Amino acid sequence: MQIWKARIGRACRNVPPVDSRMARLFVVFCLSIIVSPRGLSGEEAEHWAFGPIKQVELPAVRQLDLLQTPVDSFVLRSLEAQGLSFGERADRRTLLRRLSFDLLGLPPTSEEIIAFVADDSPDAYARVVERMLSSPKYGERWGKMWLDAAGYADSNGYFNADTDRPYAYKYRDYVIRAFNNDKLYDQFLREQLAGDELAAYSPKRSVTPKTVELLTATHFLRNAQDGTSESDGNPDEVTVDRATVLEGTLQITMNTLLGITIQCVRCHEHKFEPIEHAEYYQLQSIFYPVFPFLHRDAWVGPVQRVDQVATDSEMAAWESELRQLSDEIAARREEFVEWTKANRPPSVIRFQDNFDSAEATLAENWSNQAPGDDAPGGKPPVNVDSVSAPGATIHNDALEVREVGTKGNRWLSTKAVIDWTPDKSGESVQVTFDLISDKVSVDEPPAARIGYYIALHDFDDSSSTTGGNILFDGNPAGSAGVHIDYPGDDSTTAGSIGTSGYKAGHNYGVRITNVGSDEFRVEHLVDWAPETQVVTLSAADLPDGGFGFEYCCGRSFVVDNILVESFPSSDDSQPSDEAVTAFLAASAEQRKALDAAVVVRNAHLASKPGQLAWVRDLMTPAPDIHRLERGSYSDPAETVKPAGLAVLSDGGFELPVLPDDVQSSGRRLAFANWLTQPDSRSAALLARVMVNRIWQHHFGRGLVATPDNFGQSGAEPSHPELLDYLAVEFVRSGWSVKSLHRSIVYSAAFQQSSEHREAASQADPNNRLLWCFPLRRLAAEAVRDAMLAASGELDDRLFGPYVPTTTLQDGNVVVDDGDDGARRRGIYLQQRRTKMNSLLSLFDAPEMVSTCGQRNTSTVPLQSLALLNSSFVRKRSEALARRVAGEASIAAEARVKRVFRLTFGREPEAAEKRAAVDFLQKQRAYYDTDSEQKAMIDLCQMLFASNAFLYVE
Amino acid sequence: MTQTTHNRFALNRRSFLTTTAGGLGLLALEHFAQSEARAATPVESTVNPLSPRRPHHLAQAKSVILLFQNGGPSQIDLFDPKPELLEQEGKPYPGKVEAHFDKQVRNLLASPFKFAKHGESGMVLSELLPHTGSVADDITLVRSMTTASVDHEQALRLIHTGSAFAGKASYGSWVVYGLGSEREELPAFVVLTDPAGLPIDGTKNWTSGFLPAVYQGTQFRSAGSPVLNLSTPGEVPDAARRNQLDLLQQLNSAHLERYPNSSELKARISNYELAARMQTAVPRALDISSETAQTRQLYGLDNPTTADYGKRCLMARRLVEQGVRFVSVYLQSQPWDTHSKNADSLRGLCGRTDQPSAALVQDLKRRGLLDSTIVMWAGEFGRLPVSQGPDGRDHNRHAFSLWLAGGGFRRGYVHGATDDFGYKSVEDVVNVHDLHATLLHALGLDHERLTFPHEGRDDTLTDTVVTNAQVVPALLDSHS
Repeated sequence: MQIWKARIGRACRNVPPVDSRMARLFVVFCLSIIVSPRGLSGEEAEHWAFGPIKQVELPAVRQLDLLQTPVDSFVLRSLEAQGLSFGERADRRTLLRRLSFDLLGLPPTSEEIIAFVADDSPDAYARVVERMLSSPKYGERWGKMWLDAAGYADSNGYFNADTDRPYAYKYRDYVIRAFNNDKLYDQFLREQLAGDELAAYSPKRSVTPKTVELLTATHFLRNAQDGTSESDGNPDEVTVDRATVLEGTLQITMNTLLGITIQCVRCHEHKFEPIEHAEYYQLQSIFYPVFPFLHRDAWVGPVQRVDQVATDSEMAAWESELRQLSDEIAARREEFVEWTKANRPPSVIRFQDNFDSAEATLAENWSNQAPGDDAPGGKPPVNVDSVSAPGATIHNDALEVREVGTKGNRWLSTKAVIDWTPDKSGESVQVTFDLISDKVSVDEPPAARIGYYIALHDFDDSSSTTGGNILFDGNPAGSAGVHIDYPGDDSTTAGSIGTSGYKAGHNYGVRITNVGSDEFRVEHLVDWAPETQVVTLSAADLPDGGFGFEYCCGRSFVVDNILVESFPSSDDSQPSDEAVTAFLAASAEQRKALDAAVVVRNAHLASKPGQLAWVRDLMTPAPDIHRLERGSYSDPAETVKPAGLAVLSDGGFELPVLPDDVQSSGRRLAFANWLTQPDSRSAALLARVMVNRIWQHHFGRGLVATPDNFGQSGAEPSHPELLDYLAVEFVRSGWSVKSLHRSIVYSAAFQQSSEHREAASQADPNNRLLWCFPLRRLAAEAVRDAMLAASGELDDRLFGPYVPTTTLQDGNVVVDDGDDGARRRGIYLQQRRTKMNSLLSLFDAPEMVSTCGQRNTSTVPLQSLALLNSSFVRKRSEALARRVAGEASIAAEARVKRVFRLTFGREPEAAEKRAAVDFLQKQRAYYDTDSEQKAMIDLCQMLFASNAFLYVE
Repeated sequence: MTQTTHNRFALNRRSFLTTTAGGLGLLALEHFAQSEARAATPVESTVNPLSPRRPHHLAQAKSVILLFQNGGPSQIDLFDPKPELLEQEGKPYPGKVEAHFDKQVRNLLASPFKFAKHGESGMVLSELLPHTGSVADDITLVRSMTTASVDHEQALRLIHTGSAFAGKASYGSWVVYGLGSEREELPAFVVLTDPAGLPIDGTKNWTSGFLPAVYQGTQFRSAGSPVLNLSTPGEVPDAARRNQLDLLQQLNSAHLERYPNSSELKARISNYELAARMQTAVPRALDISSETAQTRQLYGLDNPTTADYGKRCLMARRLVEQGVRFVSVYLQSQPWDTHSKNADSLRGLCGRTDQPSAALVQDLKRRGLLDSTIVMWAGEFGRLPVSQGPDGRDHNRHAFSLWLAGGGFRRGYVHGATDDFGYKSVEDVVNVHDLHATLLHALGLDHERLTFPHEGRDDTLTDTVVTNAQVVPALLDSHS
């Protein structure tokens, strides 16, 4: 062991050369471990969790009359061995509240309580259980269990960037549906690991609802943090960031499904578990085609990893609607353009292009070379009349500016040379264009900037003329930066003009007016109206030159109706201020219909069906994967083949035969099949881990106390035979999770009271043997949801995009009470890693880092402060008080009874009722107005704050 | 607990006892057993995770004030005089310089500031730090620090959590996890941020990482209520609130009768009293109006340049005085990141921070609190002896300086040295992991035994197999 320790220590510390940044990163990254006094020896093979599953005999017990289900035999046997037994069966109200929070995460309604208490039939309990198991709320409660274990979040993580995962919710909804439909667990896993391969998905085939479901499931493999859309360090850092995604995914997969810690095997063989160093890379090779971190060009960041997967009928309906809306816009635009032509103040047209003659080519009027330049602009230059990126084409009677986001400056210019400096004071020249769309195709993000030039003549700085090349860098959020003599070292900034942002459907441009003394005022035009913020330039800044658009860095957009015109001042045709004002007012009125149509179209675009964040192999065929010496990314050793873990293998890891058009390695499906192979050791461990998770969420503590670690460094099971018995039954039921619930909730162990018994408490103070049902605090979501349910406000809509949270000035992360969805269940609130809802977070909802197989249950004063002072709890108290006040004709005492039933799930006991009535009477005296109601609010709040509400017996 | 864990402790305890000169006796042994059992077990819901806990060994220090200097203060201009630089100014550095902006590396740039000896110890400090000079005999100056990254965020995470990667816990969180809180109605780990805004890397600087969230730093807000939900809703009069709490007490007492052994329920009941006390205790702890004119002057509150930082230093003292375990004071963004106009920027920054920092040491000392309080003044890395552009200095991970005062750290002591140019630490080199081990040691915590189960193993702040972190005894009084 000491030798081994020394070897690992050296391997992870001593990584020359020290001046390599990569090596440094590696040293700090390698989470190698420690120092177990136990070495690897034969005993690992016998580790209880890794063996095949065996049929377990029911143990004999003395008190046969106490047995309800086989589970009880195991629990009771352990109790009897200590001279203990079960507690009494809990009373009806307690049982109902326990079941309701346990299966649905919500309190029972008043009516349910009354009905159950009055139901004398022998199957009353069973009918309640079955009703709850078929409620859609069941999936919300138990789906959350899985989402925690699987590391679900609505954001990408990666330090403070933590960008949005706008489509993750579809996976959340998939999980909720899977639990509600009792999707068999082995199938549930196969779908999450390899739904695309199961569906034999190919972009060439038509999409069915089943395909969409299967692809959505694979988002399981997207749950790890992934900052690679933001990562912008040197190449080594980028590699580390990408590798982190694959490593995180593998870690989640192994921890969540098999309860095996795998991270340390990246650098060396496992100290605790019988897992070889090379096996890490065998496992990694299964997911490598999805996350090919060493293949620079194949990688796709999370923001871009979204595909259009909609069924044909969904798409057809959406597209047909889009066509109608686009036609509508075109018609309104035509009307508006015609109106403008007829009514606008007269001018001299210097240049005009409407891109609407059928045989028009762009090259007639436009060039990728500025009029004064001797070289084509930019590298690579813009492709005129071509969709090659960067490219410019006429399409649908408009100009499409297509950019691919690579760096460098490029432009398209008019061939015409325009005089940008009107000779006389008062004269002006202006250029305007319609911004048809801020994106060329609906799937891409909106243009980061809308950039255009005037006085384009010397882009490559080859001529001696200074100035010119004035770039207006239009910001969608507001104003346009003005850069003179752009680009190059001598480029200067002249401030910014305008205040409005750039929105598709409006007309933009600039007007240059000679204001005398060699000064030229530059105004920003929005729908022909000049805005206040202006800059002033000199004639030297404004040499003659073309007009053009910039092609750089994510600036794809569509424009039309480019018009350069001048207004003589001495001429009678120069419009008076009054005429211009009148024109602008009429123009704003005229374009309302157009604006409205654009709003409708944009909303429709945003609702495009089938945006799906899923996984697929990015590299086919799968590349060779190497073991990495000491985990160093720059140190490949021998190649490895995909395989499952040797210690769990019973039989092969068989690559499936996929249809020819399916671009996938089949490795993930092979892994899923290996994992779930009947009678195998892998399936045995899979079943044990899941059975334990379910048990843990029923009793608060697993049969194994370390749900994500079933290895030798994890905890021993408290009831090993029970664990295996449940695992056997789970598999025998066909992996039905609902059957597993039944075998637990029908047991006497589950139905016993939580009541304290001194003798039992002495013998087993931590209730490890389950001599009573453990008293448990509500989970974070249940605290919040139960308040909403009690107050009658709960919005029980299922599914859909998350309800966004916002951070208030004081740091509180909340959902604004007025927001749509503010009263939906906690599972639907935005789960942003760095900004969890404060109330949920206070009650131990995870701020997801990797996974959360077991939540902490903290008891801290900040929770008390939230219950006493937070606006959320106050508002629920007000609503609850309103609810019972609204139920007229009820006497005060009856109202007290009712609020107790709604919060505690039972009638108040005599002393409680007395205390509450006394409280109300005293409390009323503290208020001058509405004292009745205010006292009731204060009572309701204290019920929410009390242990009888926060704990389930 | 698994067999493995038992064995590991047995081994550690044995080796500890055999390697500790003099031993610590039976009482101490029992004490260890207790601490170990706790540290190796997940914090159970049945106990208050912040209840005070005994340290692994006896120690003077009970609390920490971290004066964090974001950006990487220039050791060459503040703490580490280099006459050789004057000799060779303008010449290239004889060797390769690792810089963050490697295309802007220029020649050697000497410090324009004079250095002088201070106090009986004769500690040499820059003229920019006259006030620090006045407490030179109370501080330990470490001139031989190193870290592993020249990237701000990574270096910040290294010095705060021991790892360049996110997800680990800051050492403030570890300290609170290890020792708990002595003053329930105040947060155990308080962060006083600059009213102008957060430092670089924001709240990650005081994250609890994989430790339970209860151990993360509580940021006291500069405006409005310092912690969330601290004020009773405006519509509830005090007497009505008291009546509410009485009712709650009755309901909870009745409920408790059924579960007389539940420490969790009891904790929750007492937490309401505690919460009510917090509502007054927190504002009172921060209220500096009761401080004397002399004290206010000491911290520079009468001078607009020093008032802002001085106020937070004074608040830090008040918090520690009232039992807060760990207080961090931050500057907005990263002002010490002097890539250009290094000298000018340092003048301004020292003008803001030198007096209040030294005042904190003096004030703690005269109140008898310095023995039990560690004050640490540190940034995330140092700066280069060569210039960046005409007048800046780039990041340096190979050498930086920091100082510590109180809590058993040596007085008037300079530790370690850099090479002739101040580029590399060469003598008695201390890396951030050694620093962490030493800080924990000074607080009575053994960095190898303060563990928390995480991803299948017992994780630590120092992760010694990777870092080989070791306590630096020379920094501490008892080893002088």
